[in-house]
Amino acid sequence: MRSPTRIAFAATLLAAAAASHGQTDPLDLQSAPTPQETVAESPLRLFVEAGAGRIDQRFPDDERTGRRLSVDLRYNRRLSDELRFSFSDRLDHASPTLFGQEDTVNTLREAYLSWQPEGSSATLDFGRINLRQGAAFGYNPTDYFRTGGLRAVTTADPVALRQIRQGAAMVKGSLLWTNGGATLALSPKLRTVPDSGSFAVDLGATNSRDRALLSVQTRTSEKFSAQGSLFLEQGSAPNLGLSSTALLGEALVAHADLAVGKKHRLRDQILNTPAAGKRTVQAALGLTYTLPNALALTLEFEHNGAGLEADDWTAVLNQGPLAYQRFVALTQPHQELGARNAWLVYVSQKSLGLKQLDLTAFLRTNTDDRSRLGWLELRYHWPQFDAVLQWQRASGKAHSEFGALPYRQLVQLLGVVYF
Amino acid sequence: MPELLQPRRRFLFGMMIATHWVAPPATAAPDAQALLAASDAIRNPSQPFKATVTLTEFERGVQVNATTLVSQARTLESGGQFVSLLRFVQPARDAGKVMLKNGADLWFYDPSTKASVRISPQQRLIGQASNGDVVTVNFARDYTATLAAEEMVQDGERRNRRAHKLQLTAASEDATYGAIELWIDEANAAPLKARFFADSGRLLKTAYYRRFQNQLGAERPTETVIIDGLQPQSVTIVRLTDYTQRNTPAAWFQRDYLPRFSAE
Repeated sequence: MRSPTRIAFAATLLAAAAASHGQTDPLDLQSAPTPQETVAESPLRLFVEAGAGRIDQRFPDDERTGRRLSVDLRYNRRLSDELRFSFSDRLDHASPTLFGQEDTVNTLREAYLSWQPEGSSATLDFGRINLRQGAAFGYNPTDYFRTGGLRAVTTADPVALRQIRQGAAMVKGSLLWTNGGATLALSPKLRTVPDSGSFAVDLGATNSRDRALLSVQTRTSEKFSAQGSLFLEQGSAPNLGLSSTALLGEALVAHADLAVGKKHRLRDQILNTPAAGKRTVQAALGLTYTLPNALALTLEFEHNGAGLEADDWTAVLNQGPLAYQRFVALTQPHQELGARNAWLVYVSQKSLGLKQLDLTAFLRTNTDDRSRLGWLELRYHWPQFDAVLQWQRASGKAHSEFGALPYRQLVQLLGVVYF
Repeated sequence: MPELLQPRRRFLFGMMIATHWVAPPATAAPDAQALLAASDAIRNPSQPFKATVTLTEFERGVQVNATTLVSQARTLESGGQFVSLLRFVQPARDAGKVMLKNGADLWFYDPSTKASVRISPQQRLIGQASNGDVVTVNFARDYTATLAAEEMVQDGERRNRRAHKLQLTAASEDATYGAIELWIDEANAAPLKARFFADSGRLLKTAYYRRFQNQLGAERPTETVIIDGLQPQSVTIVRLTDYTQRNTPAAWFQRDYLPRFSAE
């Protein structure tokens, strides 16, 4: 007996032959089979990503080859009608590395139990959880649990970086009602300092202080929704957050994230200048417009009241590479905006000329020092394999955010296999 | 057709009107809106339901993509809005992604980034999820129908059928399309063929409904052939299987439930 796959393949060949003679009638086409195994979803999602490319680096000023291998695993299983277990882990091996980082880094992103009484809209989660808040693309000031999330930075794309960050250990309760809901998360202090060891669980990065978050979300109409947050952190004043989205037209969506609380200026932290925290506004405001040809264009303004202004960059970078490393350590693992003000243009397009070809690109501009970071990705899909071309370029004067990045330009080819 | 005589008020109402029209008094004019409601009731179960959706995409007759989704849908008691949650099962790279449609409240959730992103109707129209609208959305709520003609039309099985041609114009902001031409079977109000137009009048897609089977108490089309309006060689076949009754709570059809639905 012939397998459905063989029959489908034969049908495809016949269809292709007919197509080549211009004879294809849409009503002759047959649906792909829906085998039972596709409906009974696998609890395991696994992909392996391998790539190599050329790096044009600034310090020293030469070119070298970069390589990376990543294994990304997610496992989600229902233990009973009311209990579910989620596990998520990623292993990255990269060369070269920066600032003495390990070349092999494992990130235990999530491991938690989830309890939801049958048919209920209340849930209780316990374990390491990646709790994500905010609507913005590049900078989410209301995404409070992003602190210490990134152990390995394998891309410049701020959206893709969220795929690899680790969560914080917490107890989280949620309750939903029609057109709204509330979430309370309690995350205790478990360790004091981060652990950069290759296979460290690294609770010191995500749970170095007692923290609590209460957020309430509401949907006032089909076109507007908002989320208000109160975030408490040991040793800091309360922080208030507001995140909202609105549909402004058939093709236009707006988003706004706003956080207000006392913060220490980044310059003072880098230079170890004693100074009291000041009330600080952090915000991201954006618009996404979709063209009829499927191109989605997002323009986002980002503001960090504690970030570095043009003069601050000069003061920091005049201190030498150690000050720059400290800047990186204070911003990169937390997806914090280093600049006082920045613009992000983010573009994505499905089926760019070819059905299976996708484009993603962004340009980030520091408005204070005029430095820029550009990034572009072309991704071609096969059923279980992606071929990816990535290009990245950082430009600006020497004493600027992106002008001081160790890599001037990066071009790499990646292959991704999905299991 | 005894399977059509279900004890569900809305469905029965639609069918009573349709049956009435099949054998009308000589002078009676058919109620186009009631015919449309009857046709909706054939495409969509009136009770909350779950189904598996397989989307097979073809370019010039050659299969280029196959996507499997699990759909949960219901009509909200307040306002009568037809809402749906779509979760991607295959391909592997998209597994766990979720699309929510609650009128103009459209959200996309990606479990890898944990991000719920509001999307515009235009953005949704571009993706494959919009083909789900052709199959499972209720038209009577968002469109005003008028009877344009009575004519013979070829259905998805290539049989010539006597049909009412309804002209649908958008009557609410939730309407995805500017206008729709819908042919429904004179005998039983089953949908046979539809043409979907943008506000500009551009033909977006043509759909043929076929492979009628008994699902959740009625003969429903389990396959829809969708032909792209601009590129007729781009064809998508939407197949619905595994219909089951599933009373998904109304509170779950919102942004904050998407991570939970993604993990189901």
